Parts: sequence; structure tokens; C-alpha cells
Amino acid sequence: MGAGTLAGCSSEPQGSSATPQQATITFAASTLGDPGRGPGLQKLIDEYNSSQHVVTVQPASVPYPTFGQTVLTQMGGGEGPDLVRFDMPEFSTAASSGLLEPLDDKIDAQKLKLIPGPDKYLTVDEHRYGVIFENSNYGMFYNKDLIPQAPKTFEEFVQTAKNTTKGDVYGLAFRQTQAEEAGVWQDIFNYVLGFGGDWSDGGKLTIDSPKVIEGLKAYQQLYDANVIPKGADAATFRKMFANGKVGMELNNGGYVTATKSANANLNFSVARIPFPEKKQGALLAPITINANSKHKDAALDFINWLLKPDQQVKLQEVLGASSVATPTERSAESLQKFPFLPVLDELTESGVPQIVKGFGPQTADIRHIVVSQVLAALQGQQDMATAMEKAQKQAEELVGR
Amino acid sequence: MMHRIRLGVAGRTIAVLVVLGLAIFPVYWMFVTALSSDEELFSSSSVNILPNFSRFGVFAAALADGQVVTWLLNSLIVAAGTTVLSIGLGIPLGYALSRFTFRGKAAVGLALLFTQMLPEALLVVPLFAMFRRFDLLNSLHGLILADTAFALPVVSLILKGAIDGVPRDLDEAARVDGSRPPTVLARIILPLIAPAIAAAAVIAFFSAWNEYVFAVTFVFDKPLQPASVGVAGFIGEQDTSIQSIMAVGLLFTLPAVAFYLFAQRYVVSGMTAGAVKG
Amino acid sequence: MVFQLVPLLQEVWLSFTKTTLLNPNLNVWVGMANFQSVLANPSFRQTLLTTVIYVAACVVGSVGLGLLVALLLNGRFPGRAVARSLVTVPWAAPGIAVALIATWMFNPQFGILTRTLRGMGIDPGPNGVLNNPQLALGAILVTTIWQLVPFVAVVLLSALQGVPQELVEAAQVDGAGRWMTFRVVTWQVLKPTIGLVAVLMTIWSLRRFELIWLMTRGGPLGSTRTLVIDLYAQAFESKQLGTAAAIGMVGVVIAMIVIIGGRLVANAAAKEA
Repeated sequence: MGAGTLAGCSSEPQGSSATPQQATITFAASTLGDPGRGPGLQKLIDEYNSSQHVVTVQPASVPYPTFGQTVLTQMGGGEGPDLVRFDMPEFSTAASSGLLEPLDDKIDAQKLKLIPGPDKYLTVDEHRYGVIFENSNYGMFYNKDLIPQAPKTFEEFVQTAKNTTKGDVYGLAFRQTQAEEAGVWQDIFNYVLGFGGDWSDGGKLTIDSPKVIEGLKAYQQLYDANVIPKGADAATFRKMFANGKVGMELNNGGYVTATKSANANLNFSVARIPFPEKKQGALLAPITINANSKHKDAALDFINWLLKPDQQVKLQEVLGASSVATPTERSAESLQKFPFLPVLDELTESGVPQIVKGFGPQTADIRHIVVSQVLAALQGQQDMATAMEKAQKQAEELVGR
Repeated sequence: MMHRIRLGVAGRTIAVLVVLGLAIFPVYWMFVTALSSDEELFSSSSVNILPNFSRFGVFAAALADGQVVTWLLNSLIVAAGTTVLSIGLGIPLGYALSRFTFRGKAAVGLALLFTQMLPEALLVVPLFAMFRRFDLLNSLHGLILADTAFALPVVSLILKGAIDGVPRDLDEAARVDGSRPPTVLARIILPLIAPAIAAAAVIAFFSAWNEYVFAVTFVFDKPLQPASVGVAGFIGEQDTSIQSIMAVGLLFTLPAVAFYLFAQRYVVSGMTAGAVKG
Repeated sequence: MVFQLVPLLQEVWLSFTKTTLLNPNLNVWVGMANFQSVLANPSFRQTLLTTVIYVAACVVGSVGLGLLVALLLNGRFPGRAVARSLVTVPWAAPGIAVALIATWMFNPQFGILTRTLRGMGIDPGPNGVLNNPQLALGAILVTTIWQLVPFVAVVLLSALQGVPQELVEAAQVDGAGRWMTFRVVTWQVLKPTIGLVAVLMTIWSLRRFELIWLMTRGGPLGSTRTLVIDLYAQAFESKQLGTAAAIGMVGVVIAMIVIIGGRLVANAAAKEA
């Protein structure tokens, strides 16, 4: 999709900014709160602030647990941070409600060499509303001490999970509680995509299609196999992974830095998720400018600075194994530290953002419906096919209204 | 003294210890958890029930951060401001509700209750718009006003209840002597309802100290963040340190306990004053 | 008052409109449609039932236990002042901190409470207490009541100081037993305070949000989804402020029924006595 086609309309030189006014602007990103990555990102912001004397970027304080709600309330009320790093469901909601500044004539995708795969998702109703801040592909993280040989097929995956589960150690971990609704959604995405399903064909919801049900049955099979620490939340089982108590986890590349900072000695690697289809979820997080911002020029200046090749490399280092807006070379040093990085980078083209295609703004609602039904199936209240029939019906009612 | 329900001093002491144990254990457990290593936390074979003081650095690290201190100070300002304001407004309001007859008095009493029924989550959007108009966003005094709006109804109801308990003969006698209502209130009634004032102050303080929804939505700048928001910020997207979150949670709990201990003196002295009168 | 009443009236208005969080100034009048859609939703009945159970249990549990603790602390025993202070710790602990430690203590693999339960022969299932539809509400209730009891105890303790000592002695001289003395003297003095506390507990429990949201988010299977959780999800996840306001109004109506009903019962009882 040619987001750059509108570029010709503007009289300004593309990719560079007009000189902004003296301003202090705020930047809200849930990444800023991560113990592993927050400090690194803050350092990058400090570097921007000291690189010039016109614009000062300050972190806005929005804690992760209520990030979307808080920022959207502020923006709906006519305020909010100048710059926001959104996750996809909130991004599409905000964009389609006119809360974000269109960037059509301010960002030239070709000139900036933005990676087209993920970039195409940032155009809503034919306007560009953001630039990729982070694109994290989902891979299979595994503990090499527990699992010397990564499974290559789904059957091997199940078998490995079973074999590794012993005493205190669990073969696998994923989210499966209502308390982590958004996390369950991210996790089941990989199963649905990996078995060839999708929540919609772009125009019609396909929640109850056979492929979706097959993927979710695979998820349920692992749940029923008692190979995961049931009821544990991500905060707990990720620490368990870092301490060698969990063998495998499907997670996004952003997790590499967190794991490393939790336990520098952990011997782990990442491989492609061994499901039939080579397709997996991607955590896309665009950086956007609030339409209410009084300092849009200043905000744009920061984005432009961030898109420069040097800064992109630094940002990527901070974010761990995620990729950023433009193609960057991994440094020899980080390749030595994380030899699996190319595996994750290679997945960028087959990554799918965690929204319902064609129903971006309604994703949060559909998510709630689907996750509630899937969890009811896990609890043995109904089989997965029935669960998805119900979900399909409820979701159709929702989008119909 | 009074009302011993079939308990000797020994029996009572044991019962008190059990109650205290139940009351304090979770907070103690935060302390133990904060001082545990990952290894210890994620082992199902053994469990540490005693704090490991060699890891006390968790607390030092949390405090050295500087942010934690700022958060606590902000919370203190908001909570103290809310307490002073809601007691200051609640006393006349409670007095009026208790002593004066005026048209619509029942309606005001009911409205006070009514306003308590809506959760913050519902009021946050209209209140945001109002605060924006009055330029109260992103400030601690704005937060004090929002929290006072929430605390005031309860405070006035409690104070009204307490003033209802003061015999009318007392203030009528004073009025015959020529004192005006404010004087009566200050000289005669306030000393008598001191314990209720202290109790209401504790309620106002804690509700503002703990408030999250308004704080996270109305305050944008990190240096103005109160502790409830700061603590929530420790729950990360990729990574949450159970130990530091427990340490910070505990640091957040202690000042509130300290405030209670401070207010308690007045509750107690008020009590003794009341006992002498009784 | 302005900060309470004006938004309140706005909410009443909103409940008759279709309004989204993203554009709160655009209100489309829809009449009773929000109420109809809320009340027609079959899971809303479960939400109402959960709310009623939760609120009733909070009120009965906290007032009952709070009264016992107050009476206990009102007596004479060594270290009374210290005990009276320490017992308030749960009330002083912030909601977020309580939710965090409770979640950790109920952790299905490593939580101290889960282990204790297993040790006592009560198996909460492999998912743990908070993810077991039969137990989750109970766990939330225990946590809530743990936090509320000290508050009730402190308020009742201060009310107990108003019990006239002469009357207690007079009753005892008349040969009244302890239970009788309690009923005739103490209870009469405490009654208005207990009434006030019960109303406060009702309203606060109807409103309680953080604790439930952080511990279970209304799950598993909607077993801890109270009105406020439903309202929050509508307002901030579905972003439908109108529907959320309608849910809020249903909550207000329930609270009014409870409070006015309670007054009527109290008045009737007063007349009989």
C-alpha cells in the first residue's frame, strides 16, 4: 500500500522536519516501565535531548496495566501525551476515531526505507497515522540445558513439552487466565495462525472456521497435557523460564532483553515456532502523534531523529530482538551474544499483527468475546467448536451494531 | 473493664494475638517475598518463612532510586490536603445537617449518599472535562479536589452521626448564654466529637492515599505522580520483578500505617475525654 | 459538591445516549436502548447475582468480624495500645499492594496460601484458587474482608467509648448476664454506628474495583465479574460510555433499594422496640 504516494503534495523536503518551536513534549510508552528495557530507552531519549536545545522529550507516566485505557481517556478528553507508542488494537481504535495526527505528507516511506511488511498496517482509512517503533516477532524460546534439540514439528513440540515436565520444571508456559485477557489473545494468535486459520478474511469474521478451531484445539491439547504451570501469570512464568523452571515459551523478541536482565547466565535460544504454517503473530507497536498535541512539529522532530540510521541501530539494541522501522544490521557483538537473532529477523515478513483483519477498532471487543469462550472451553464447560460458534455469533452481533 | 464476653485476660490475649497474626501476616509476607531470591521464590520443595536480611539491599535500591521518595511525598501532599479540606468542609456540613432544619435537608443527605455510589471509573470522564476547563489537570491541588469530592460525603455523614450523638441541651445552653453557632460548634461540640473527627480524617487520608484511577488519568508529569501510580508502574509489559514490586508496595504501605498511628493518639485521647464526660 | 453532582448528572444523561470514550462530547440520544441491551444480556443476570453475593458477604463478614474485634480490643489485656494500632495495618495497606500480595499468596505453584490449603487437604485444583470458578469469588471475599474488618473495628471501637459505664453497671446489678447487658446497653449505643458502617460497606463494596480487576479481572468464567468490573470493561475496553453509564445507574438503583429498604427495616424495628 503506497503510504508514500501523498508525499508529493507537501512542499517541505521529505524526511526532514521544519525547525520546531522551543517545546517540552511528553512521550508515553509502556516500554519505559520495563525493568530491562526502560532504562535503555530513557538513555536514548536523553541523547536526543542533549543533541539539540529546542525540543525536550519527557517520559509520560502511564503504567502498563492501564496504559491503553488511560491514554485513550486523556486523548478523548482533549489532552494526552504528545507522542504515544501504541499497541495495535489501541492504535486502530485511536486512528479511526480521529485522535491521531495523520502523517501522510510528513513521512516518506520510500525515502526512509521503511520495511513495507509491517508498515502497511499503519494506514487506516487511507491515511498513515504512525511509524513502526517496535516490531517484535513471535518465536519459540527454549532453554538449551533442558531441551538440547529444538522440536521441528507440532508432534515433537508436544512430546518435548511432556518429556521436559518433571517435578518443579514445566515443559511449556503460556497465558490462560481471564486476568491476562490481552496476553491470552497474543498467545492463541500463534496457534490459530500456525494452523492456517485467521479470525477474519478481511471482510467477514471467520472465528468458527475449521482452521481456527484446529489451532485452538492444539492450544487446548497442551493445556490438558498438564505441561504448563496452570494459573500462573506471565510475570511469574517468565521468571520461571529465566530460572530454568520452564522449558519453552512462545514469545516475542522484546522478551530477550528482559530474560537476559533477569538472569544473565541462562542458556537459551530461539527457533521458529514449529507449527504447520510458517506464519506467526507479531507485536507491532507504532509511534504516533496525538492530534491534540500543541507541539506536533517538535513531536515529528523526535520521530525523524529516531528514524535516522544510527538511532535505529541503537533503538534496536535497546529493544532486544525486535526489529524497528527500517532495516538495520545487527552488530557483530549482539550477534555473538544472541546467535539466534537472524532467525527472529527472518520472521518479519510472515508476522501478522494481533488485530482482527478489517475489524481493527473492534479488536478489543472481539478479543474479549473470543478469549472468554476459549477459557470456558479450557475449563471444560464446552468443546472448542461450540465455543467458537458462540464467539462467532456474539462477535457478528457486535460488529453488526 | 466492660463487656468481657466470657474471656479471661489470658484468653483474650491469645485471641488478640490470633487476630493480629491474621491482620499482619500478608504484610509480613510482602517483606519476606521482597527479601527472597528468584531461586527461593520459584521452588516448590522448600519455603522461606523468615526474612533473609542479607538481601536488604532491595529496599535501599528502591529508596536510592529517588523516584520512590518523590512518589511518597506527592501521595503525602495529596492525602494530607484531602484530609484537611474534607474535614474543614465536613464539620460545618455535618453540623448543618444535624442541627439546622432547612428545606431540602433530606435531599442533601440523600445526595451525599448518592454521590458515593458511582465508581471513580464512571466519573473520570466527565470530571476530566471539568478539570480541563478549570485548568486543574496535571496538578496535585487538582487531585486533592477530586479526592475531596469523593471523601467529603463520607466524612460529613460520619460527623453528622457524631454530632447527632451530642445532647442538644448542651448547645442550647450555650446559645442561651449568647454564643453563636460557630462558637458553639468550636467550643462545645468539636471537643466532644474528637474521636469521630479522627476516624473521619483517617478515612479521608487513606482514600486519597490509595486512589488510583483519578491519579493516573489527571496527572501527566512523572514528577507529580503519586505512589499508587508509581507502584503500578512496576508491573512491566515484558518483565516484572516480584521482589522490587513487593519492596515498593511495602514502602507505600508503611507511611499510611504511620499516619494511622499518629491519628490514633487523637482517637485515643478523644476517647478518654469522652469517657470522662460519660 | 460541584465535582460530584455535575458529573453525576452528566452520567445520568449519558446513560440515555450512545457515547464513546474516544469522543465523549458527541452524544447521540438513544432513549432506553442502553438499558435494554444491558438488561437483555443473559450474562448480566450473573453479574447482578455475583454483585449481590459479593456485597452481602462483604457487609455481613466485615461488620460481624469487625464487631467481634472491636469488643475484643475494648477489653483489658497487656499491650492494648500496640495491638489497637497494629490491627489497622490491613486497612492502611493500599489496594494495589494488597492485590499484588494476595495474588502472589494464591499463586497456584508457589503461593503460601495454596500450599497451606494443600497441606490441609483442600486441593484448589491445578489452576489454583483464583482460576477456579468455584473458589475465586471466595478468595476475593477473604481478601476484601481482611482489608475491611480493621476499619469497622476502629469505628466501632470509638463508638464503644460512648457506652455509659453506669448503665452497664446498673444492668449488671440488676442481674443481667453479659449477653443481656450487651443487648440492652451496648447494642443500643452501637446501633446507629453499625447502621452507618453497614451503609458505607454496601456502597464501597458496590464500588470496589482495583482489587478484583488486578486479581481476576472478573474471571474465571465471569465468576467474579461485579457491576463495576462490567462497567469498567464497557467504558474502557468496549469504549461505550453510554452503556457503562446505564450499568452505573443500575448499580445506583440497587444501592438505593438496599439503603432505603434498610432504613425502613430499621424504623420498623425501632417502632416495635
